[in-house]
Amino acid sequence: MKLELTLNGRPCVTEAPGHWTVLDLLRDGLNLMGTKYGCGEGVCGTCTVLADGRPIRACLVLAAHVRGRALVTVEGLERDGRLDPLQTSFAERGAAQCGFCTPGMLLAAKALLAQNPAPTVDDVREALAGNLCRCTGYTKIVDAVLAAAPGAR
Amino acid sequence: MRLYPFDLVEPDTLAAALDALARLDGETRLVAGGTALVPMIRLGLVKPDRVISLHRLPELAEVRRDGGTLQLGAMARLADIYTASTVREGWPLLAEAARRVATPAIRVSGTIGGNLCYAEAASDPAPALLCLEAEVRVAGAAGGRTVPVVDFFRGFYETALAPGEIVTAIRVPATPAGARSGYVKFTSRSAEDRPLVGVAALVVRDSSGRWDDVRIGLGGVAPTPIRAPRAEAVLRGEAPGDATLRAAAEAAAREAEPLSDLMGSADYRREMIRVWVRRLLTSLRDGARSA
Repeated sequence: MKLELTLNGRPCVTEAPGHWTVLDLLRDGLNLMGTKYGCGEGVCGTCTVLADGRPIRACLVLAAHVRGRALVTVEGLERDGRLDPLQTSFAERGAAQCGFCTPGMLLAAKALLAQNPAPTVDDVREALAGNLCRCTGYTKIVDAVLAAAPGAR
Repeated sequence: MRLYPFDLVEPDTLAAALDALARLDGETRLVAGGTALVPMIRLGLVKPDRVISLHRLPELAEVRRDGGTLQLGAMARLADIYTASTVREGWPLLAEAARRVATPAIRVSGTIGGNLCYAEAASDPAPALLCLEAEVRVAGAAGGRTVPVVDFFRGFYETALAPGEIVTAIRVPATPAGARSGYVKFTSRSAEDRPLVGVAALVVRDSSGRWDDVRIGLGGVAPTPIRAPRAEAVLRGEAPGDATLRAAAEAAAREAEPLSDLMGSADYRREMIRVWVRRLLTSLRDGARSA
């Protein structure tokens, strides 16, 4: 099956079997290992990527369903060698420990801030409700997202 | 871990989808957003030889008002339903329930038709659609038919769909004028979980304050989502005081047929029905929520 899409801002033409998910396409087809395989059932959130700016679970969405759409993975957050403000904020505030949930956290947060540049603590917690972290207890993750919000006072 | 391999079929008309469903042998499944089917394939609960995707049928994704009726394409995403001002203004009960499904990323992919066809007893939208007395539009090789949502759920993960049929749309009649409605969801493990008990209710008061239209829908408390007719009967024609609300909640707990699972025991579910039905009805009576 032929697939044409936009991946991290660039046109991408590739092939994938019909039963592949977006996660299979990213990791096995395109060798982009930033997006993690966690639970495989859409519960843990570590495979979260953006499709047309909205968060999706790469482990649940068939690759065929992102044909023609714009995907952003954690590899696409950096611009010209500069980290996204969310990445800097996570690093500065110790919002990652083992790091396995971090790609999904960053993209779920990215989608939130694009839609709501000045979120409340509750907004952040709700946006990240489907992203599980077994290390941090979430406090530093929420703090890092709030600090990176462009509308933060 | 890859999915058990299947052939993906991507028809671009409804007729082609129906034809593929009728013609192809072996186990065939339909996929909308994939949030239910993909985990079922991954867990080995279904092993389809082929999967027919409905994503190339844009006419199935519409969310629009048609006169007084809300027309939801089966492929309308949950997130597109509760963000639509048409739905928020005219069918706030449905918007509230759709907003409570799982997590943002699931609501972006998951569809209303998929939610109903999965026939999960602990559906969030289903109790709301039961209260709103919605209808399911079904297409088949022999033509179309309409099934009231209350008749669509037949048993544990079982629907009224016959082989070869596809749900194309959900039609929701107008919310009654002056209705107050709400959806509450109690989860026992985490906020984004399926409801241990989900309660939707819609009430209309007459000029003397009596409830002349009372509808209660429950999720997670029986093999399918259900209406609670005995609880409704307790309230109909009443201007309910606290004792009457408690009696209605008790009736709902008795008419439910809860199962025990990892989220909670049947007894605990019954107790939580008593609590959450009473709380929702109390807030509707006291005007904390309105349509």
